Amino acid sequence: MGHLIANAWLRGLVHGALLITVLMTAVAWISWFERKFAARVQSRLGPTMVGPAGLLQPIADAFKMFQKEDIIPRGADSLLFRLAPPLTLFLSLATAAVLPIMPGMLASDLDIGVLYALAFSGLLAFPIWVAGWSSANKYALLGGMRMVAQGISYEIPMVLCALVPVVVTGSLSLSEIVKYQAAHHWLVFWPPGIGVIAFVLFFTTALAESNRIPFDIPEAESELVAGPTTEYTAIRFGLFASAEYAHSVVSCALASALFLGGWDGPVLPPSVWMLLKTAALFVIVTWVRWSLLRLRSDQLMALCWKYLVPVSLALVLGAGAWVYVVG
Amino acid sequence: MTAGGEALFAFCALVAVLSALGTVIVHSPIRAAMSLLAHIIALSGLFLLLHAQLLAALQMLVYAGAVVVLFVFVIMMIGPSVPEPPVLRGMVTKTAAIAIMVVLTAILAFSLMPVHMPDIALGPCLPGEGAECDQFGGVGAFSQSLFLDGLVPFELISVLLTVAIVGAIAVARGRSREEVAASQHKRDAQAKAAAEQGAREQAMAAEVSAHGGHG
Repeated sequence: MGHLIANAWLRGLVHGALLITVLMTAVAWISWFERKFAARVQSRLGPTMVGPAGLLQPIADAFKMFQKEDIIPRGADSLLFRLAPPLTLFLSLATAAVLPIMPGMLASDLDIGVLYALAFSGLLAFPIWVAGWSSANKYALLGGMRMVAQGISYEIPMVLCALVPVVVTGSLSLSEIVKYQAAHHWLVFWPPGIGVIAFVLFFTTALAESNRIPFDIPEAESELVAGPTTEYTAIRFGLFASAEYAHSVVSCALASALFLGGWDGPVLPPSVWMLLKTAALFVIVTWVRWSLLRLRSDQLMALCWKYLVPVSLALVLGAGAWVYVVG
Repeated sequence: MTAGGEALFAFCALVAVLSALGTVIVHSPIRAAMSLLAHIIALSGLFLLLHAQLLAALQMLVYAGAVVVLFVFVIMMIGPSVPEPPVLRGMVTKTAAIAIMVVLTAILAFSLMPVHMPDIALGPCLPGEGAECDQFGGVGAFSQSLFLDGLVPFELISVLLTVAIVGAIAVARGRSREEVAASQHKRDAQAKAAAEQGAREQAMAAEVSAHGGHG
């Protein structure tokens, strides 16, 4: 492996710090982008006052978050209540460790990168559920329960769809999967038909895992106030919000590494390609959010168990047959 | 083993022990479940130090992702306010428990004494050690033993689990109203048929006795 930094510990530290900095900065301005986008969809202007085109709004928001009063409800389990927000952010950032940004640059080139990413993103349901439970609030608890139910249901088709690239490339390492795509085909086109369905399903389940509309039934502000985060104020709420954005971005990056060739692309440097693909996917995420309606609980479960799970099982079988026949 | 590896081992081991204690000591069921989660994550850290990458990931996916979720659902169904059972343990039981614990800990400690640090956490492969060391604990080596050396028991276990799931569903599902009605209907029909049969036999018997047997 031609890593830029030889010592594994140092490499992990430097890349980790770099990744967290880049991700958190991106998250701040992604919130600006989303507000602007939403405003355009609804024929509004969005933030305009702070800085040119409202570009400094995220910084103002962060300061505001730090200044607000920090409230812990009297009936709350205060230890778990305090623990939940940083844990949520930690888990959504931890997934980024295995993302290949460019050749020879990733925090940790695990053999099992795909499994690692999926395991951490599957764990994310816990801190959010703990938040809902420890708030001692009915809306929060309901939201938390929905979060766990949705999280474990959608994890299954997500893992199965991520298995398609694994079966085709014969490796669980994300950097190996990207290298295969750079040498052969992007996996969204390969195997023909199966790849594109797997990509669409993976993207859909990733939306569900990161609680974005149309899968934001745990938050469902029109019925549950704000779901698990109802009782959170100030920077604790800010941590949840940034964790949600970070998770969305990491899921988009994961999807582009698994299916869209990662850093592979002509002319531009590899890291730019990776960023461009991730950004393009995130635009679609935002676009979907402001175009579609929220699914009901039962529709959500029916979609997962009646359609996504059987189809993704068939996809894994199809990919296996393809590898067996074509090679 | 490198200094970083030792530090990681110490950290994971400490977290694993503390969270295991927390799981059994803490009163709130939800905190106990969360300690269990922390314990599982610390264990998968220890697996990583032993070069068992796949095992570490599976530990996270299966135990943290599925088993703890199951506990969470059980806690939510029972609710947090279940009254604690009265403490029935007296001084004798407590003393005996502590004595047994001390003995077991001593046995464990003495049996672990000859184990050196390199056995607890593996260092990176030396240049001369070759491919076998490199692949140890990796996906390839793991699936080699799972799908080639141990294929038959592995498949048998999966069949066994499927049977267990089917059985559990059959037991837990109960019967729908239609099924209850259908079986009731069937039982009624059987009872009716039996009654008719009985009546017919009685009639025949009466006829036989009226005509005085073999006539």
